[in-house]
Amino acid sequence: MTEAVRRPGRDPALWATVLVLWALLGLFVLFPLARLSWLAFFEGGRLSLDHVWSILGDPNHRQAFANSVLLAALVGAGGTALGFLFAYTAARAGLGRGWLAALDATTLLPLVSPPFTTAIAMIFSFGPRGLITYHLLGLKGATAYGLPSTLFAETLTYFPIAYLTLRPILAAIDPNVEDMAFSLGSSRWRVFRTVTLPLAVPGFANAFLLLFAASLADFATPLILAGNSFPVLPTQAYLQVTGLLDFKGGAVLSFALLVPAAAIYFLQRYWVGRGAYVTVTGKAGPATLIKSVAPWARWLLLAACAAVAVVIAYLYALLLYASVVMAFGANHALTWRHYHVIFTEGLKAIHDTLIIAGIGMPLGGLFGVLVGYLVARRRFPGRRAMEMVSMINYALPGTIVGIAYLIAFNDPPLALTGTALIIIACYVFRYSPTGIRATVALLQQIDPSIEEASQGLGARSGLTFRRVTLPLIVPAFFAGLGVVFIRSMTAISATIFLVSINWTLITVRILENMTELSLGPAAAFSVLVVAIVFAVMAGISWALRRLETGGGLRVTSILGG
Amino acid sequence: MSRARAGRSRLAAAVLTAVALASPAAAADTLNAYSIWPENWARPMLQEFEKATGIKVNFVRFSSGEALARVIAEKGNPRVDVLFGGPVETFAAGIKEGIFEPYKPPSFNSLPARFKQAEGYWVAIADDPLVFMTNAKFLKEGSLKPPASWEDLLNPAYKAMLQMADARTSGTAVTRIFSIIEVNGRNEDKAFDYMKKLRRNVQVYTKSGGGGTLPVGLGQAGGGIFFIVDALDTKAKGYDVIISFPREGIGTSAEAIALLKGAKNPELGKKLIDWATSPAMQGLYAKHKINFVPANPEVKVEPGLAEVLKGAKIFPIDDAYAGANRKHVVERWINEVLNAKE
Repeated sequence: MTEAVRRPGRDPALWATVLVLWALLGLFVLFPLARLSWLAFFEGGRLSLDHVWSILGDPNHRQAFANSVLLAALVGAGGTALGFLFAYTAARAGLGRGWLAALDATTLLPLVSPPFTTAIAMIFSFGPRGLITYHLLGLKGATAYGLPSTLFAETLTYFPIAYLTLRPILAAIDPNVEDMAFSLGSSRWRVFRTVTLPLAVPGFANAFLLLFAASLADFATPLILAGNSFPVLPTQAYLQVTGLLDFKGGAVLSFALLVPAAAIYFLQRYWVGRGAYVTVTGKAGPATLIKSVAPWARWLLLAACAAVAVVIAYLYALLLYASVVMAFGANHALTWRHYHVIFTEGLKAIHDTLIIAGIGMPLGGLFGVLVGYLVARRRFPGRRAMEMVSMINYALPGTIVGIAYLIAFNDPPLALTGTALIIIACYVFRYSPTGIRATVALLQQIDPSIEEASQGLGARSGLTFRRVTLPLIVPAFFAGLGVVFIRSMTAISATIFLVSINWTLITVRILENMTELSLGPAAAFSVLVVAIVFAVMAGISWALRRLETGGGLRVTSILGG
Repeated sequence: MSRARAGRSRLAAAVLTAVALASPAAAADTLNAYSIWPENWARPMLQEFEKATGIKVNFVRFSSGEALARVIAEKGNPRVDVLFGGPVETFAAGIKEGIFEPYKPPSFNSLPARFKQAEGYWVAIADDPLVFMTNAKFLKEGSLKPPASWEDLLNPAYKAMLQMADARTSGTAVTRIFSIIEVNGRNEDKAFDYMKKLRRNVQVYTKSGGGGTLPVGLGQAGGGIFFIVDALDTKAKGYDVIISFPREGIGTSAEAIALLKGAKNPELGKKLIDWATSPAMQGLYAKHKINFVPANPEVKVEPGLAEVLKGAKIFPIDDAYAGANRKHVVERWINEVLNAKE
């Protein structure tokens, strides 16, 4: 690469940082995974695959594996299509600021909510006596369980990731290119088909793979919606441990889940690796009036987006309603009682969650920026390996990470179960990779000559990093800590194994409440989480606007990971 | 303050915070417990215990499978002292894993044999019969009477409208399966034939025992088989549901408490067990509208609950038989019922 990439020999600060980061990665990423493999593949100290074969030989587990992959592929396809619809509308339909804000808000809502909020609303709406299936459409014998409803709920939950991935890509396609095609006499459809779509292909691939991975790892939605005819792997792994007390079987199933997850991760690296170099180079052309969308098509796009938005708004309105009535479906008298419950009995969960998210947030942001900077700008032995290892917990489904942490950190001297640290560590190492990628992406847009100048003038690497690089990558820092915060508020798949008598989490309380017939408090907790996350997101956006570093990185554009 | 000093004190503060976060709370008079009872019932009871003894109870609720898995995972370094509530079959499974410390509270001798483990590995704190619970409106629309026999649940009118618990995760489900085996004269094949037929009417097997109560209350399901405590709670919330019993009889499962081996506060744990197995706690069920049947013979059944139970044929699940057969019965249920291909 360039001169700014230096050998570490003359730079003790770099060495020290690298060593500390490796120690952390070894402890919180490699060690738990090694413990899990030990459990899965070794019997009495010797390699033994008997149990592996007996678990994998079970036709029901194989069915669950096939179901998981099928569901993930369908969610990937459906979510990418929906995300493209929104992204294309946002980029090409010539919307005013108000409309764009509405579009953003619609897509943010599912992204920042606890994972099963849509699942509850689905059961109300599409069951045999569902508000929509029965009371509105008069259908009898509808079912709220199985592939269709799981697919529907996951697509609605995850399509925003596709939207956020595709939107910058569509926005980066210079409308002038499309203009040129027009002036050469192409029809709109032809332009769309032969210019716009091909240019968006890397985006499609990326969006599909992100959605595939998200669905593959999703545990909560299928837990509630998949029913018995459509078992999926993350739920099966969870049941294997909690239902049959078979840790070994759970570990084996987790590793089965690892196969498609790893395949997808490497595919994604391959696509991103090729697409990452596409940047907006030079000066943008003069703004051109967008003509690529016919007026009727524009209305059609808007109507389609509005329809999706209405569905989302409906599901969340239902949740809000359930949080303010005595007992949804039986007694619709308005009450604040559920909010009173969550702020008295549930206060500990709120308090714990906020502390954990509040501590994990800056640590995750800092970790992301540090690793991203080292990986993108410095050269040291094992640089590639560090990048890979830092991504592992992110690529793994949460169930695996949770079980691995539970097993690895129970015994002294590493007895971390029961502490807040284990939950914080889980979040930091699982969700800061978004910050790492943001930092890398941002640094690729910054000319290394700026740092070279600083070092050429005699500044050591630490000083250069602090005074030159850091201010430049502040947006990535905020993006990274934003993601860690959001996930700390909403994630459950890994941390359901890590909560304890001392530290509990809102999301776990929501799941508990739902199984205890306490729907009101579950709904109230969900509303609270959405409100807190929206407030923090607004705060981060505000801070970013104030900083105006010119990086041009939108927080929302980072969330797509 | 100089910059370096400020930095150092900030560092010290950070270290202190880290230490505080890393060490589990360890106050002197605090007892730690995993509760399998839902918070709605565990919280008032444990608050009463705190009021009565001044011992604070730190607890978190998990479903029976999760609680057991966690206790087993933590065996080398137990995080709690007591496992509170939950059906005995969970505790029976725990004995095999060697996670409990035997303890016989003062009321041990006065308890009937089925409410205690002979060596004191667990002691019952309540009894919880199963019931049929149906949605009143669903019955009316289909001109159905409340089910009064196991055979009634096979009526095609219930097709895909029943919800009940999944035997992989729920003690309720295991009690249900053993009830069915019992009413079929312990003829397992006959019992499984029945369960296979019943499966056609099952909409979904839920992860937790009470998971189906809300759908039945809302009418998303027509009915199901639940523990009475969950069913009466659904009714109390205002949902229009009907509780009935099969004339062939239905099983009941004791709810238990146990001290964990290697508990950090065994003395406090024993105090909780003493209190929970005595009339001191079980006499409070009625006050807090918890519809468990008391296990301690000195406590009278609350009149409202007694009224519901009147005339019902309820039999205890033979825990020796259930313990010996649980594993293969659950496996058979998974293979032949849950994963049955229609």
